Amino acid sequence: MTKIVIDPVTRVEGHGKVTVHLDENNQVTDAKFHIVEFRGFERFIQGHPYWEAPVLVQRLCGICPVSHHLAAAKAIDQIVGVDPDDLSVPAQKIRKLLHFGQVFQSHALHFFYLASPDLLFGADSDPLKRNVVGVAMAYPELAKKGILMRKFGQEIIKLTAGKRIHGIATTPGGVHKTITAKERMYFLDEKEIPSVDTMIKWSVEIIDFIKQYHNDNKDFLDTFAVYPSGHLGLVKKDNGFLELYDGVLRATDFEGNTTLNDVPNDDYNEYFYESVEKWTYLKFPYLKHLGKENGWNRVGPLARLNVCEGIETPLAHKEWMEFMASTNGKTNNMTMYTHWARLIEILYSAEMMKELLEDDDLLSNDLIRKGERRKEGIGIIEAPRGTLIHHYEVDDKDRITRCNLIVSTTHNNEPMNQAVKWVANNVLDGKAKITEGMLNQVEVAIRAYDPCLSCATHAMGQMPLNMQLVDHYGNVIEEKIRQ
Amino acid sequence: MSENKRTLLFGIGNCGRADDGLGWAFLDEIERNLPSNFDIEYRYQLQVEDAEIAQNYDTIIFIDAHIATFDSGFEWKICIPKASDTYTSHELNPETILHLTKTIYNKQPTAFTLGITGVNYELALGLSSVASNNLTKALDYFNKNILNLITAK
Repeated sequence: MTKIVIDPVTRVEGHGKVTVHLDENNQVTDAKFHIVEFRGFERFIQGHPYWEAPVLVQRLCGICPVSHHLAAAKAIDQIVGVDPDDLSVPAQKIRKLLHFGQVFQSHALHFFYLASPDLLFGADSDPLKRNVVGVAMAYPELAKKGILMRKFGQEIIKLTAGKRIHGIATTPGGVHKTITAKERMYFLDEKEIPSVDTMIKWSVEIIDFIKQYHNDNKDFLDTFAVYPSGHLGLVKKDNGFLELYDGVLRATDFEGNTTLNDVPNDDYNEYFYESVEKWTYLKFPYLKHLGKENGWNRVGPLARLNVCEGIETPLAHKEWMEFMASTNGKTNNMTMYTHWARLIEILYSAEMMKELLEDDDLLSNDLIRKGERRKEGIGIIEAPRGTLIHHYEVDDKDRITRCNLIVSTTHNNEPMNQAVKWVANNVLDGKAKITEGMLNQVEVAIRAYDPCLSCATHAMGQMPLNMQLVDHYGNVIEEKIRQ
Repeated sequence: MSENKRTLLFGIGNCGRADDGLGWAFLDEIERNLPSNFDIEYRYQLQVEDAEIAQNYDTIIFIDAHIATFDSGFEWKICIPKASDTYTSHELNPETILHLTKTIYNKQPTAFTLGITGVNYELALGLSSVASNNLTKALDYFNKNILNLITAK
């Protein structure tokens, strides 16, 4: 038997390893996506005072710290007796502005820096060109817009949290600071940086690009890494529309049948289990009532657009309808459509940032609420990569006694393994020689999920991918290591 | 950004990993001596959007810890734009940032790297004694030889 191992996976956040086992006839017998980091964040936060959680846990990641900051903050709000609806209106809006800034910059980072090289140059193009530097050289105007869009999101984060990475916006029951009229004008007047209106315009342009790309490459996009899965995400509790900050949990199966029916955040523990495998540090969450084999779900942009019933902003809603029309309204299980879905969320975030920036509630000093102390708090948000769950328990001395984090990439563990298996079975199987382009297709499938392996394993460090091909005797006969 | 801000210092590193914090420590120490047309930026690592910042300056200096040993305790080098041959966007070097600045924005600031030798990169706060000594030497060199030169440009 032969085994291919991709170690480390490149252009994902974290350190991953792919192994593909082949028999003597080069037929694929097994394929796995391993996460080889471990840190144990859930353990070492125990004993810390609860108010430190939003500050400490965001150190899980340098790409999506805001998501952890906000999910932890929502949980800690409950420890001080404040439910999401009880936050002051200005505090809710400032947190949402921070969140949309984060989603906007994270999605821009992924599309322009990580995904676009594959789309613009092809999965089997020269790997020395197939990166963000190659994009910048071949498409400087696109690169410039990508840079400025990411910068805009980061500036929003800096406005609300003090700095672009690892800032602090929240305090138990609210937020630290209000926004001044001068501060928000920076994002509206098109003087020092492109305005939020420009961000909306550019978001529409890049969606037009991806739609044209889909037209031109439909055969590839409609067939690559297509497999049935469940889909999970938050939706608004009143109308089922897309919700990223505070909603109810909804899941469907691959045909759109409801498997989780608008469950309140506090009840998540009744519905989810996590299993472990000895070959990876990443857990496998699944819905209890469906079991491990059938209860796993994709999360993130594709899942969110599948489970929601619309989007509250007009331009993004129009694009969502077109997106859904591409599958005649049916649930979409085509992995590569995740990029299109991600760009619709970029547009949604831009529209929401505009709505919030123009809202005078941002200028209010009504920032903090208090309630009756509780011993447990659960915070769930939609991070850029998908549903993110933070759960804390504290003792009478305000110390955290238990912490459970189910992060987006953990939900996507089984879907990513399915993606690797698909490529192994459909691209690598039976081939006498494995080319770099073939191996990159494994990464293309994983990359669609924008995995953040540091978050998922709560580990630190670089995020490379190793890939190994191992024969039926267990010998590594081919290996790729990308830093 | 005001018109007179023409020199930018990037301090690169992580003060949570002992001597990897040399770049930041350099900025901490030098900041009080800098004229108003100097700006400083702290970075864990360089990113593509730093090319957008770099285009606004005439001179860029990248300061980072260095694993190599130098007699002087540091190395001062001119930095020339060069296309990256790496696979990843997670680790961009100064040459690539300058190359992106030139490619995307058609700007080519004069640039230098200042690599200061460190010896301990484990999880720890604070510099080793070796790194502290090298930092002092690098600051002395910069204050005596570089600062006036750039200011007089």
